[in-house]
Amino acid sequence: MEEREFDRLVAICRLKLSAKEREDIRKDIDDIISYFDEVSKVDTGREKEAYHPVEMQEKLREDKVVPFGNVQGLLSNTKTYRFYVVGPKV
Amino acid sequence: MSGSIEEFHSKKAGDGYYERLEAELKKLNAELHAFNNITLLNTGGYPFSAKDNLCVEGVETTASSRILKGYVPPFNATAVERLLKRKFTFIGKTNMDEFGFGTFGLNSDEPARNPFNREYVTGGSSSGAAVATSVMKYHVALAVSTGGSISAPSSFCGVVGFTPTYGLVSRYGLLDYGNSLDKIGIISRSASDTANVFDLIRGPDDKDSTSVSEAPKKEKAKKNLFVIKELLKGETQSYFERFCDKLRGLGYAIGEVSVPDIEKAVQAYYIISMAEASTNLAKYTGFKYGYKNSGFEKGYNEFFTEARSNFGVEAKRRIVLGTFVRSSSVRSKYYDKAMKVRALLTSRLSKTLEKGNIIIPAMPILTPKIEEARQMDSVSVYKMDISTIPPNLCGLPHVCFPYDYAGGMPIGAQIIGSHFSDNGVLEFVQEWEKTFKYKFKYDVGAL
Repeated sequence: MEEREFDRLVAICRLKLSAKEREDIRKDIDDIISYFDEVSKVDTGREKEAYHPVEMQEKLREDKVVPFGNVQGLLSNTKTYRFYVVGPKV
Repeated sequence: MSGSIEEFHSKKAGDGYYERLEAELKKLNAELHAFNNITLLNTGGYPFSAKDNLCVEGVETTASSRILKGYVPPFNATAVERLLKRKFTFIGKTNMDEFGFGTFGLNSDEPARNPFNREYVTGGSSSGAAVATSVMKYHVALAVSTGGSISAPSSFCGVVGFTPTYGLVSRYGLLDYGNSLDKIGIISRSASDTANVFDLIRGPDDKDSTSVSEAPKKEKAKKNLFVIKELLKGETQSYFERFCDKLRGLGYAIGEVSVPDIEKAVQAYYIISMAEASTNLAKYTGFKYGYKNSGFEKGYNEFFTEARSNFGVEAKRRIVLGTFVRSSSVRSKYYDKAMKVRALLTSRLSKTLEKGNIIIPAMPILTPKIEEARQMDSVSVYKMDISTIPPNLCGLPHVCFPYDYAGGMPIGAQIIGSHFSDNGVLEFVQEWEKTFKYKFKYDVGAL
C-alpha cells in the first residue's frame, strides 16, 4: 500500500498515530494484505455468503417501551446538563 | 450439580471464607495479574469471575482498554445475571487482550502471567480467565471466544475451556468484537463443572436477537473421532499422536480426514473479524462510555479522533485493516469472499461431523516464552490460530482440555462437535477426565 493511500485510510478511520504506532502498523500491513489475498484462491463455487455461522429462522420480538431501571447509573458515565448528555459540537 | 461445585457446597465455607479468599487472591494477583479488579459483590455462593468485556452492574468494565477507563455499566450481561440469580458469588473481572485482540494475552497494559512459569505466555485473549481458573480450587470463569480466545489460554494454562455453539448463550452485555463470531463460554477445572454452569447460562434471550431458542442435543460422547490431517503439524504433533494412541486404547476409533482449504479459515476469520471490529469500535466516542474527554468546544471529528488515540496499537491496526476490507472497491474481493469461505468450510466440516467428532491439537506450538512471542510479526501470530479458528468461524461447539505436559507446561487438544452437539463434546471430556489427572500449581480457596 502506498504512503498516500495509507494516510488516506488512517484519516478515514479518524485515527491519529504516533510515529512508533505508524511504523508498527505500516511495516506489516502489506504482508497482512498479501496474506488476505489468499482467500481469492479458494473456489467457493456457488456458495452464498454466510452472514452468521448458524443459519436459522428466529422470531423477532415486538418493539415495546420498557423503563430502564438504572438511569442514574447510565448517566454517571457521561457529563450531563439538565438530564442531557453533553457532547462535542457537530 | 456434581463435581467441585457440589463438593464446595457440601464442605460449607465457614465465616470469613470470602474475606480470606479475597485477600489471598489480591496477594497473588500482584504477581500474576489475572484480574483487572477483584470485587466481591455477594457471598455464600460458588465463586465466579467474568472476563473484562462482560458488563457487571456497578463494576468497572474496560475490556483492558484505556478508552473505557472508568466505565461502570448500569446493568448485568445476561450470562452474569443468570449466575447471580442462582446465588453464585461474583469475585471480579479478569484480564484480557484489549477488546479480545490477541493470541498470546500480551495486548494488555499489564499482561497476565502463566501460573506454571511466569516467563511463558498465558495465551489470549481470555488470559486472566484461564489463569484465575488455574490458581483457584473452586471457581468458574465466564470467558469469551471470537477466534480461539477460550481454547488458546486454556491450552497454555492447563484448564478446560468450552466454547458453545454460536447463539446458545446470549451476547447481551458483551462488549462486541465481531458480532457474527463472539461466543460467551466457560473456563473451569472440569467438564462436569462446565456442563453445570452451561445449563444455567444458556437459552434464548429477548435482549439478543441472535440468541437461539433451539436446545443443545442430549447425547453421549461419540466413539468415532477424526483428525484433520492439514492441522496435524508443528511442535505439538508428536505429543498429539501419542495422545491419539491413548484414546485408541480407551476404545475410540480415530480416522484421518482431509478438509481442503481449511488453512484459509485463518484469512477468512481475520477479514470478517476486523471488518466487524472496525465498526464496533466506532461507538467509543469519548463521551458516552466512561472515558471523559475534555474539550467539548472542539468539532466532532477532532474530538472523536482525539478520543481514539486511547486505543492500543493492535486495535488501531485492526481498525485500519477492517476499514480497508470494507472499502467499496475491494469489499467483494475480501469481505464477501471471506463469508463465502465460511459457508464452504462450515459445509465441509459438517459432513465430517455427521460421522463423528473432530479432534485436533489446540495450538501448533508448545507454550512460547513471552519474549519469543513479542518478537513474532503479525502474520506469524495470526497463523498460530490455525486450529482454534475453524470451529469458531463456523460456530461449532468445542472444548479444549489438557492431555499432556511438556517441560512442566500443559498441552491442550480440542474436541469439536456439530452445531448443538455441546453436550456430546462435554461428555467426551468428562470421559477423558476419568483417566487423566490435571495438574495445578495453586489451590487458592481450598476447603
